[in-house]
Amino acid sequence: MKKYMFKRILFSIFSLLVVVMLVMLLVYSLIERNVIFQQDDVWNKRNNNDRRMYEYAQFQKYGYLNYVDYTSFLREKYMSKYGESYDKEADFATDRGVIQKPDDVWQNPTVQEFKAKYEAQGYKLDYMEPVRYKSGKLKAGGNGYLVAVQEKSVVLRLWDYMKNFFTIETSKDVDDPNLTERYVHFEKDPYSGLFALTGSGTTHKYLLYFDSRFPFIHQNFLRLNLGTSYTTYRGSEITQVISSPTGVAEKVRQQYPAMVGTDEYVETAIDFHSVTYNPNTSEAELAQFGDNYSSYTTRKTGLSMLETSFIIGIISLIIAYSLGLPLGILVARRKDKLADKLGNAYIIFIMAVPSLAYIFLFAAIGTTLFNLPYKFANSTNKALAFVLPVISLALPQIGSLMKWMRRYMIDQMNSDYVKFARAEGLSEKEIYRIHISRNALIYLVHGIPSSILFCLTGAIMTERVYGVPGVGNLLTTAINKHDNGIIVACTVFYTSLSILAVILGDVLLAKYDPRISLSSEGGGGR
Amino acid sequence: MNEKKKVPQSSEDLFQFIDSNSISSEKIVAPRYSYWKSVFRVFFRKKINIFLIAAFVFILLVAFIMPNFWKYDPNENVTNAATFNLSPAKALKYFNNGAFSLKWCLGTGALGNSIFYGIVASSQTSLLLAIICAAINMSIGIVIGAVWGYSKKLDAVMLVIYNIIANVPYILLISVLVYVIGSGFWSFIFALTVTGWLGIAYFFRTQVMVIRDREYSLASRCLGTPVNRVISKNILPFLTSVIVTLLATELPSYINMEVFLSYIGVGLSATVPTLGRMIQQGQTAFMTFPHAFWPPVAVASAITIILYLLGQNLADASDPRTHM
Repeated sequence: MKKYMFKRILFSIFSLLVVVMLVMLLVYSLIERNVIFQQDDVWNKRNNNDRRMYEYAQFQKYGYLNYVDYTSFLREKYMSKYGESYDKEADFATDRGVIQKPDDVWQNPTVQEFKAKYEAQGYKLDYMEPVRYKSGKLKAGGNGYLVAVQEKSVVLRLWDYMKNFFTIETSKDVDDPNLTERYVHFEKDPYSGLFALTGSGTTHKYLLYFDSRFPFIHQNFLRLNLGTSYTTYRGSEITQVISSPTGVAEKVRQQYPAMVGTDEYVETAIDFHSVTYNPNTSEAELAQFGDNYSSYTTRKTGLSMLETSFIIGIISLIIAYSLGLPLGILVARRKDKLADKLGNAYIIFIMAVPSLAYIFLFAAIGTTLFNLPYKFANSTNKALAFVLPVISLALPQIGSLMKWMRRYMIDQMNSDYVKFARAEGLSEKEIYRIHISRNALIYLVHGIPSSILFCLTGAIMTERVYGVPGVGNLLTTAINKHDNGIIVACTVFYTSLSILAVILGDVLLAKYDPRISLSSEGGGGR
Repeated sequence: MNEKKKVPQSSEDLFQFIDSNSISSEKIVAPRYSYWKSVFRVFFRKKINIFLIAAFVFILLVAFIMPNFWKYDPNENVTNAATFNLSPAKALKYFNNGAFSLKWCLGTGALGNSIFYGIVASSQTSLLLAIICAAINMSIGIVIGAVWGYSKKLDAVMLVIYNIIANVPYILLISVLVYVIGSGFWSFIFALTVTGWLGIAYFFRTQVMVIRDREYSLASRCLGTPVNRVISKNILPFLTSVIVTLLATELPSYINMEVFLSYIGVGLSATVPTLGRMIQQGQTAFMTFPHAFWPPVAVASAITIILYLLGQNLADASDPRTHM
């Protein structure tokens, strides 16, 4: 069993990598890269070589290529030679000015050095000659530039991505020679009253702590970097985007670290558990925070995107299972009677009608008959705003659970063991409750982990229709905005969830039904 | 023979001796059974099926013939803002002095387009899309699924491919493909079918594997039946009802898929009228102008429900266990 699971997990990681590589191929190679400038005002305003330099900068940011500007190479070279005031030296000025003289540029020894250094690393040189009017005057944005460009191959891109996937904080993270005390240990947490794992020299001060916010126990020592958004959430890490709370700042009566132990309290929205190391801490901040951990995030009243989606998903899932399964059993018991016909009509409605149609139908009924809020953002009562999305998600799930439960129940009803149980004199109620429904459930058990895990990905249509600030539309908006970082991050997220779901489903199935063994190699069957 | 002599005299007149016929004794007498005849007999036993077929034929005829006469031009009133978003009553009043006309009986859309003509033209696209996609995906999926389920060597390779491709988000795949090869009708079909068959093949593989190891199939293989004959004569006939069930869910699913993709903005190009786009355009103002939203939704739902019910009932009828 252990060997089997190990093989499965290894294979899962392999297929995850291949999926990520495929998606990278799709988004980076198949799609024309210039589309990212379609709605870019900066790009429109720039001309000639300036525009090309801007393109290089953007392409690097979007992960298409790496490039090195000759000017930055020069700066580095002369900085090490002359120190801070390098730009006043004469040879720096000649080396910099040569770029504007297309006839002399390749004779310059520094340019040759630049060329030799980067061509050896597989870069290609791109020299943009100065663009001039006939009079010799430079056109707007016509300065000459020299850059070394390296196109990223898929393997390199994947390697760059995987390299930064996990980061574990240690007490050597902060690069500050003035910091003498470096440790990671447990101590009493003045904010929760319980203990917390704290560090000095780590990026975060609190590595493991408790607070009153769901899921009550939090950690900062292991960071998962799924990727960076380029356009939709400019420059933010996606894990941060989806997991940090939204809404307005929430002021709480609390103490700065320096006030702990005194009677002094202040009204502030600072989340003291979130403090990170700030090398430029001012004297005033030092007095308040007691140490260099003075960068912070604020407490927000709202839920994070992930929480919003998960709450809607999990509530509708609970409703769906607690209604769908009993209803499925009910219609199976009343096969070909009125209840079964009504149930069938509902199943057909849910299966056949486009989901968009019934979501809007539920929206129309809910808003006109029950006066429920329609758009999430406009509603004053946040709890009521959840009602329609939850119903819209739960009703189709009830339909599909009913469908399968009914189907498997009816299949089981003709089995020999049911006839035997009936011959033994068991009551119909016992037969259905103890024998049939438990055997019919075997087929549904496999799907439970995946339906729980996929609450984390949100629902595309429901969230769009009701304007829910969740994660469901992360991928679709990213595709529309060519936000390659989010696309890759979403793929990794969804793929890991689905792989995990299948493994958990198999384990649960094997636990629920002891006849099923995962590791044996059977002839036929499933 | 002894017993016969004990029969009372009186009833002897009632019986007659018949010569035994060696030719007829060679024949096994059983009611003649034709699979497809029985399928249709069971199918038409349900009166609702006749109604469903009539409705489906009607929709097909309207969708494929009428657009030739009723030319749908979404931009015909685009310059006349007075025609935008008219309710049916107002549209009839504006265009036809209040008299009834089919063209304006459902009002106008956001750009003064006739909703009725739009729905008719769009139904054609949606139906064509569903039929072509289902035909391509089902035929490729079933053929590959049958071989995949039968061959254990292929199974290992195909499972790896399936696990990888099934995990690439399909919205991403479709939008990238639509972006690369264009969003025309045939490009869209290509995008929907290029990996669409894989799911069907996987489903079919499992079905074939179950039947493959049944005793009768095993016996047939022991007797030396070649592989292609085992697949075509032993396994596939058993799966006819499974195929039809699959078809019943596949056909409507492409119409739903098109509606969904249009809604999230990855649909067919703007020149092709589709139900998905009409619904998408209607939903932006569905509270204020419900007449532009509900009719296309109703037609899409009607088509999918009819297809689904027809398919389910045909699947029930094609299961030989119902032929008794």
